[in-house]
Amino acid sequence: MPPILEVTNLTKRFGGVTAVNRVSLSLDAGRIYGLIGPNGSGKTTLFNCITGLVRRDAGEVRFKRRRIDGLKPHQVFHHGIGRTFQVIRVFPELTALENLMVVTTGDHARACRRAGELLRFVKIESLAGEYAGNLSYGQQKLLEFIRVLMTDPELILLDEPAAGVNRTLLNELLDAVRALRDRGKTILLVEHDMKVVMGLCETVFVLDHGEKLAEGPPGVIQSDERVIEAYFGR
Amino acid sequence: MRRLGLAALAALAVVALALYPLEGTGYGVRVMLQLFMWIALAQSWNLISGLTGYVSFGHVAFYGMGAYSTAIVIVRLGWPWLPAALLGGAMAMVLALVIGWPCLRLKGPYFAIAMLGLNEVLRVAASYFEGLTGGGLGLSLPTLHASVPIYYAMGLTAAGVTLLTYVILTSRFGLRLMTIREDEVAAEAMGIDTHRYKLYAFLLSAVAPGIVGGLSARDQGYIEPISVFPLLMTITMIVMVLFGGKGTIWGPVLGAVLLFTFQELVWARFIYLHQLLFGAIIVTVVLLMPRGILGVLQQKYNLPRTI
Amino acid sequence: MNPFITPVMLGQVIISGLLAGSLYAMVALGLGLIFGVMRVLNIAHGPLLMLGAYVTFWLFSTVGLNPYLSLLVSMPLLYLLGMLLQRFLVRRVVDAPELSSLLLTFGVSIALVNVAQLAFTSDLRAVEYLTGSFVLGPFAFSKSRVIACAIAIAITVSAFLFLQKTRLGKAIRAVSQSREVAQVCGINVGRIHMIAFGLASALAAAGGSLVAVMVAIQPEMGQVYTFKSFLVIVLGGAGNYPGALLGGLLLGLIEQVSSLFLTTQVNEAVAYILLVLVLLVRPTGLLGGRAS
Ligand SMILES: Nc1ncnc2c1ncn2[C@@H]1O[C@H](COP(=O)(O)OP(=O)(O)O)[C@@H](O)[C@H]1O
Ligand SMILES: [Mg+2]
Repeated sequence: MPPILEVTNLTKRFGGVTAVNRVSLSLDAGRIYGLIGPNGSGKTTLFNCITGLVRRDAGEVRFKRRRIDGLKPHQVFHHGIGRTFQVIRVFPELTALENLMVVTTGDHARACRRAGELLRFVKIESLAGEYAGNLSYGQQKLLEFIRVLMTDPELILLDEPAAGVNRTLLNELLDAVRALRDRGKTILLVEHDMKVVMGLCETVFVLDHGEKLAEGPPGVIQSDERVIEAYFGR
Repeated sequence: MRRLGLAALAALAVVALALYPLEGTGYGVRVMLQLFMWIALAQSWNLISGLTGYVSFGHVAFYGMGAYSTAIVIVRLGWPWLPAALLGGAMAMVLALVIGWPCLRLKGPYFAIAMLGLNEVLRVAASYFEGLTGGGLGLSLPTLHASVPIYYAMGLTAAGVTLLTYVILTSRFGLRLMTIREDEVAAEAMGIDTHRYKLYAFLLSAVAPGIVGGLSARDQGYIEPISVFPLLMTITMIVMVLFGGKGTIWGPVLGAVLLFTFQELVWARFIYLHQLLFGAIIVTVVLLMPRGILGVLQQKYNLPRTI
Repeated sequence: MNPFITPVMLGQVIISGLLAGSLYAMVALGLGLIFGVMRVLNIAHGPLLMLGAYVTFWLFSTVGLNPYLSLLVSMPLLYLLGMLLQRFLVRRVVDAPELSSLLLTFGVSIALVNVAQLAFTSDLRAVEYLTGSFVLGPFAFSKSRVIACAIAIAITVSAFLFLQKTRLGKAIRAVSQSREVAQVCGINVGRIHMIAFGLASALAAAGGSLVAVMVAIQPEMGQVYTFKSFLVIVLGGAGNYPGALLGGLLLGLIEQVSSLFLTTQVNEAVAYILLVLVLLVRPTGLLGGRAS
């Protein structure tokens, strides 16, 4: 099986800052990957480059062998890559149900059914008619998460899904992520909590100052000198 | 039950408005016709700006385009007024396509400024192409007493845009337009081709101003560049929408009715203070009720958008 | 329009363009300051300029005050008015979407025009003070334009020195870079906003007093300056203050040079077409600037 996502020498600069510097990664289908690194190391920017929200300066992104760099975000989405944001971005003046309904263009009844399923999947079906802006932080986080799933994307990028989420909710989220993986989806998630990463990811990439510092199973990564230095040194 | 009552009330209003020209005076018909025009204009602005949040600060350009297209084919080619006005609507859409394709990529204040500038360009163009438009002297249309049929045409246009708004607001297309207002980046990331959607909304919002521009050119019998491209007219539609409640169906109608009535009853007496009063109204609406009457009610009583 | 363009004519329009441009730059600096510091597009900027012109006219026609000295009255007066506008109205739309600030300042704008109509009627007024031209070789320049340019340059330079060198000026720039950071550094942002709006209004007033000697004064004269100032800050890049200067000069030049080829009427559209083109091609301004 060829990798589902292949990033080659991806580079992005903002003025003088090189936010992502010649990063290469390769993801196989059906696995959960972690992306870690100190604040400002370029994790979100990497996501933005993959999903087309910012234009890369150099490098390639291939999804299922097709080049997707240079595409618009909505095109990338329709290729089968969904993402969530580090800072919640639901549509506040749309109801929870409407937040989901806007995503697909297909048959209305099917979309409705799918939205209902997803709301039940994360147990917020009773809030379907509530404006998203009135939901609690955790509920919004869940809503944003299931919004990605409306079209059943093959690759899901989660930017700090666990940040600011309480224990119970976190466990639900992690279970959901595992359930997705078991259905053959590929997940790449940014996470700071090493316990979460250890329990979930099969492979971890470490970014520091925009460069890929290390890659490997979480156990190995955790004891890697360079990684420890990146986090705790200086 | 309440629905039925509302529907009955609406039906009654429609019948009354349809029969009005049989009883009303010529003056009354002209006033009502202008009210319809404002409803259509406000409702159209609401379609693009109320839903997507992109502030069309030169929306009167479509009105002017419609007015000139209509007047030109009536004067130069002798078209009857109804097809001429429809052509005005079509030309306004063409203009919207030409402007919107590039400009809807601009964000926030930059789009507003671009629209403001384009409206001025059109005004200058209208006086420049003298052979076609009569230049700064304007165009006089042949005399025709058609206020009553124009009354119906205006009324239908106003009703048409309101119906269109209803259809859009209750569809997923409308929801997607609103995601652009709520968070354009997230909308893109969720697979919505925001540029295309904005363009569709912009095109739809240009038709009715084009048609009513043509109709009022016919009704007034004379147009000139400054009378059909005034910034003040754009502002008036915006204030009507804000006052009534943007992003709702009846907000623009309510705003147009209230502001227009106020204008007819009160302003006529304070000719010298017109602008000062209007300025005060604008400031009051912006500062004290940015959500508008229906917006406030909607929030307070948790009503659907479709009010 | 004119097939016989000689080098002398070209030289003449280039210099005229720079003369006019320095005035645009000064006025637009004010608009840019307001946009940079509080992200408000001030449509009332032109009408404030119009008020400055009327102050000069009024002082000239009642007490015969030298129009250039009247700057000493119009600028402080409008500074005060600007502070009041900011304090009571504009303050409340600083963080609102652009629609609110555009509408609010439009409301203020028509109210100001109306006040001017009530006070001075809509008749065209003129300050006939300085006529004639300086002649320099083959070129001739109206005296009023040369003096206006010199004063505009002096005022603009002072404004720059103020922004660059003084504590208050630095505070203003800090707020325009990042309000949060400024706040954390103990800067009273509300006060800075008032001062910035006051300064901007004073710059508009200076523009008004200077043009009062050159053009007909009437209540509606301001709007075109609002548009031109928009264009200048778009050319220069929003939030880029030196950019506003270059933008102003550029606008003056373009207008004058294109007047060689186009009728006055079409020439009016040049500025607007340019505005839209620049926005489309380089929304961050020809000279770069802060993307928003
Ligand atoms: N839109 C932007 N403009 C300028 N600099 C940016 C932008 N986005 C990110 N950066 C910079 O890029 C670097 C990486 O940021 P980011 O990708 O958000 O890191 P992380 O998600 O790992 O915390 C930081 O130095 C940040 O300041
Ligand atoms: Mg991040």
